[in-house]
Amino acid sequence: MSWSLARKVSAALIAILVSTMMVMSLFGFFKFEEVMSSLVRSRYSFVAFTIKKKVEDSLNLGFALRQLRQVQETIELEKARDEQIQGIEIYDARGEILFNSDRGRIGASVPETWLDPLTATSSQPFALMDEDSNVVGLPLVNNLGKVEGAVVLLYPSGYVERELGAMLGRLALEIGGLVVGFSLLTLVVASLALRPVRRRLAAMEAGLDRALMKDGDVAIAGLGDLGEFDGQFDEFVGKTREAIEHIKTSTDEVERLDRLA
Amino acid sequence: MIGRLFFGVVTAVLLMSGPVAAEPAAKPYRIYMALWRGWEDAAQGFKDYFTNQNIPVELIIRDAGQDRSKLPEFVAEAKQLGVDLVFTWGTTVTVDMLGTYDTVDPAKHITDIPAVFAIVSQPVGAKVVPNLASSGRNIAGTSYLVPMDTQINLLQSYRSVRKLGMVYNPLEKNSLVAADELRDLGKRDGYDLVVAPVEVVDGKPVVESIASKVRDLKAAGVDFLYIPPDTFLNINRDVLTSAALAEKIPSFAAAENPVLSSKAMLGGVYRYYTVGQLTAYKAEQILVHKIAPADLPVDPPKRLSIIINMPVVRALEVYPPMSLLSLAEVVDSGVEVRP
Amino acid sequence: MRLDSSRSLLLRLLMLAVLVLVPPMAIASLRALDRFEEGLSPEMDRKAAAIGRDLLAQVDRAVSYGIPIDKLVGVDEFFTTLLNGNPEIRYLGLTTASGDILFLSGALSDQLAGQYRALHLTEADMTGRKTDIGAFVDLALPVRGRDGLVGQVHVGFDRGYIAAQLFGIFYDIAVVLGTSLIIAFEILLFVVVFNISGPMKLVAEVVHQARRGDFTRVPGITSADEVGHFVRAFNGAVRQVDNAYRGLMAYIDEVRTGHFDRNVAEKVGEVADRVRFLFRFNPSGAPQVLREKLSSDVRLPLFLFVFAEEISRSFLPLYAQALPAQVAGLSPELMTALPIAVFMAGIALGSLWAGAVTERLGSRKVFQFGLFPAVLGCVMSGLSHGVIELSLWRGIAGLGYALVTVACQSYISKTTSDSNRATGLGGYVGAVLTAAICGTAAGGVLADRIGYAPSFFVSTALILVSGWLLSQLLSMAEIPQSVVMAEERHGTHLLRIFSNWRFSILVLFAAIPAKMALTGYFFFLVPLSLWDSGHSLPEIARVMVLYPVVMLAVSSLSTRLADQMGWRIGQVALGGLVGGAGILAALAFDGTLPLVIGIVGLGISHGMSASPQLASIPDICWIECQRHGRTQVLALLRTLERVGSFVGPLLAAVFLQMWGGRGAIIGLGAVVLVMAMVFAMVAGAYGNGPHLETEEDAP
Repeated sequence: MSWSLARKVSAALIAILVSTMMVMSLFGFFKFEEVMSSLVRSRYSFVAFTIKKKVEDSLNLGFALRQLRQVQETIELEKARDEQIQGIEIYDARGEILFNSDRGRIGASVPETWLDPLTATSSQPFALMDEDSNVVGLPLVNNLGKVEGAVVLLYPSGYVERELGAMLGRLALEIGGLVVGFSLLTLVVASLALRPVRRRLAAMEAGLDRALMKDGDVAIAGLGDLGEFDGQFDEFVGKTREAIEHIKTSTDEVERLDRLA
Repeated sequence: MIGRLFFGVVTAVLLMSGPVAAEPAAKPYRIYMALWRGWEDAAQGFKDYFTNQNIPVELIIRDAGQDRSKLPEFVAEAKQLGVDLVFTWGTTVTVDMLGTYDTVDPAKHITDIPAVFAIVSQPVGAKVVPNLASSGRNIAGTSYLVPMDTQINLLQSYRSVRKLGMVYNPLEKNSLVAADELRDLGKRDGYDLVVAPVEVVDGKPVVESIASKVRDLKAAGVDFLYIPPDTFLNINRDVLTSAALAEKIPSFAAAENPVLSSKAMLGGVYRYYTVGQLTAYKAEQILVHKIAPADLPVDPPKRLSIIINMPVVRALEVYPPMSLLSLAEVVDSGVEVRP
Repeated sequence: MRLDSSRSLLLRLLMLAVLVLVPPMAIASLRALDRFEEGLSPEMDRKAAAIGRDLLAQVDRAVSYGIPIDKLVGVDEFFTTLLNGNPEIRYLGLTTASGDILFLSGALSDQLAGQYRALHLTEADMTGRKTDIGAFVDLALPVRGRDGLVGQVHVGFDRGYIAAQLFGIFYDIAVVLGTSLIIAFEILLFVVVFNISGPMKLVAEVVHQARRGDFTRVPGITSADEVGHFVRAFNGAVRQVDNAYRGLMAYIDEVRTGHFDRNVAEKVGEVADRVRFLFRFNPSGAPQVLREKLSSDVRLPLFLFVFAEEISRSFLPLYAQALPAQVAGLSPELMTALPIAVFMAGIALGSLWAGAVTERLGSRKVFQFGLFPAVLGCVMSGLSHGVIELSLWRGIAGLGYALVTVACQSYISKTTSDSNRATGLGGYVGAVLTAAICGTAAGGVLADRIGYAPSFFVSTALILVSGWLLSQLLSMAEIPQSVVMAEERHGTHLLRIFSNWRFSILVLFAAIPAKMALTGYFFFLVPLSLWDSGHSLPEIARVMVLYPVVMLAVSSLSTRLADQMGWRIGQVALGGLVGGAGILAALAFDGTLPLVIGIVGLGISHGMSASPQLASIPDICWIECQRHGRTQVLALLRTLERVGSFVGPLLAAVFLQMWGGRGAIIGLGAVVLVMAMVFAMVAGAYGNGPHLETEEDAP
């Protein structure tokens, strides 16, 4: 495949188009995911916060965390409300799970890193990453100001992709289609844009060819407004033809002289 | 996948918490509890804390029955038993058994055994500790009175007050101090304090004068009644709160009884039970975490118990703001009261 | 003399670029926004439901205590707290069972009252009922009291919220699009110049000679496109003539040597002389293949290189701030300023050295030599673990930057003649400024999306592309080294120039403060201040991009002005005052505005004074220019002003430590303004024309 001017220009433009669209899609997706996950996180934090309030109200009445049997019902209810929630856990300051939406896990221990947010005696919400889960949590503080444990809510980390994968796929296809469509358009329009250049080159070439043929016409017709360069080019073509003819006549002359002798 | 992760750490956590978990098998901590007027909520809170936290303790409970002369015996017994910690209830027990910081005597007081105190109304005033940051000696403790400005903030957040009324027993020094503090805070918060001391005849406050004093306050345009933590008024709380209800004055109590078992509308208190738990928490710091008692501050519980007496609220139709309601403990017997 | 009007061709191609890039971006953005809104709206519903449930629980509790729903107290405050904590919720409301509004926060009652009354919620609507009310989406939940339905809780959100959240991306997309268009322009310019204008210029040169009968040269173009095809035909024609000539000459030689008739030989010789007189052919036996490189060839690689270097412009101090400082003894402010200062020092040292080295090795070698530190410095900046380390690598990157840019400059000055050198250097400045615009703007967006360190890796990749391009170009034709400078000339003698007070004043009070303002204020204090006032990286970049934009606009204008009016020193003085005063806008305003004014002022200032400053040198230092050459004097000025570049960030850091962000800006602005004022006052005494008094002092 030869690289014509139109192809070169189109290739450059298509490369720019493709990379621009890729960068834009990437930015767009990142932004979307950011907005989406902050929305999801804020909702789950809110759910965790309502549980925290309930638990702390009970703690305030002097109950021990592990005695709050009704909390188990609360978290099971919250989990049942949203199938995206993987689990809700309440664990004490030593990491033992006291309540879990999955009752089988009660009595087990949470990963050690989950205890880190509890060492600081604050009620700041925290977010953790598990292998395939996002975790939002809030420390549970009793009325003595002591961190008794934490409530955490787990939801799948691939949430955005899983929920909206199909939609994003369709969008990617649409954008891909756009890129292909406009690439084709580029090919056509680039070739149109370069047509005058191509024509002029072809015309000059044709003029040159004609000039080199013995019976050709020196004047190049049909080039229209050609400007200084083309004027010079005409002179060049004329001179070339003149040179060829001159050399030819000279050769004839020499031949004649040669034969004469 | 989470499961796998958990199992990996279970062992680690067990190993880490080994010494703590092993302790139940070891001998329990022995705590000598010296009480002033029998087993009540603070003592219960103290005991429950250890149960809840799975800390094995052996409690040796002694009640002075408001008899000061028994206290030297307690000191001797505690020393002789060689207990791990001493708990003292009330100012008298605390001062007599632990001494004040300037008069402590190893012969008469407990010095070598760490001690925690509770329900001492003025730990600094009674010279139990030189300041609230540190006792400077082998004791720690809790305070239980709600600071006056916390009380007023709570009262104001329920309903903005212009004229605050207060009925009190002029014979009780605590109430006079409270009146001064309220007056000062009034300058800050923009309310006037109207006081009505109950009548005193033959050096004794007259119960019958309470209702008329409340009427006087109503006449003076009082829009909230402050009930100080006054022994006389505590005993006669039904008379006082019924009078306030009759005059349609909302009432705020600095102690829990007028709200919990009478007709005061609102209370902001540290519950004895909570104070007992906090005292036990200090004991845990000393016994389990080996923190020197002098390094523990003397402080009240972090969270105030806001008690709202719903039948009274309904009778007065002075409803609590939503944000306060969501924080409060509501007393609702279901029995309607009439002004 | 060019083929066709390549300018109009370029214009056509640019329109093509706009046509190809803008509509798909616009269509894709709008489609994406629609899809995203669609994707987010169930999430909004769920959030509203969670809030609604909690709100309902609290209202239920109050109602269950016997508080009549219309007598609830403090509902507005309660709503406000909830609204503040959940910005995506637009309003919260509480109505009676029949839908009369009791409490409402975040919206106006008359927007909703009618809809609420028409709602007829029943106790069966346990999970709530969703309705669209204008732009709002309303979720209503029933409040059940002791005797049935007593009220409704309403949670509303705004469909526009999602769009508003996503809207932030539009600035980013605009930056990406703008950058793409400029890059497209640069690439198209390159494609056209490299494939059409350049070759045709060569053809034109050959045509120019050949039309007078000089067939000694042919253009050496070997591309496979139409131009290449044409050139082959063209060369074919020239070669045909040449071959005919060679054939004739061979024949003539044969006749002359083979023929014994002297007369014939003489006549044949006359024919040969006539042909030789009328036409000229290359004596070496074939036409010489002409190759020529254009100064504009380096424009694209240079653009990419500067683009890469400018990516870190908006965040370098922030990156330094985020890295752990390793050395005790230096304040954190100084540590933050260090990478910029060291980078500037690297440039200063690099250009001192590069000037001398280029003369000996040629631009290609220097370029390749400079690429190594540039790439190393850039990649290691991204891998740095501490500020000292970062500073070190920035210094090395600065060295590379200096070598590469000096190599490009020398390439340009060698490929241009005296007549078109100004155009060539104008192209250089244009490429650098457009690259600064793109790099700064894109860098902020990039760093915000992928982080500081990965942005350096993107820079590295761009530098490598630029290096590959340039080495391809430079390897095709290395300009033979014809210029040999007298090395001994500059040395101690040149330093005598300081006795020329005009020169010293210009350096001290105009050139140095200009650079101090650039590096201390613009490179260092501006990103830090914007960051501290809570702006995001793309926002910082968008503000900072004003400087190259304004400078680009002003400089073309002011160069013409300076040439026409000959008011060079005045422009330098005025520029300095404008720059200093602009920075001091911080005295009058708060927030971002003074920074915008300061940046625009600086852009005006530098656009106004940069080229007049250089142009005034031949006037001010007439003697020295005669003695040492103008290039040497200009190089000295360049080197000296870099002292300001180095000092700027450090001075700003000291001010920052003493007086805080605003104080530092005011302090630095004051320093710059006072120096500019000194210059303005002294400049009045400069007079005009060449100055001969230094000659009297000269030995």
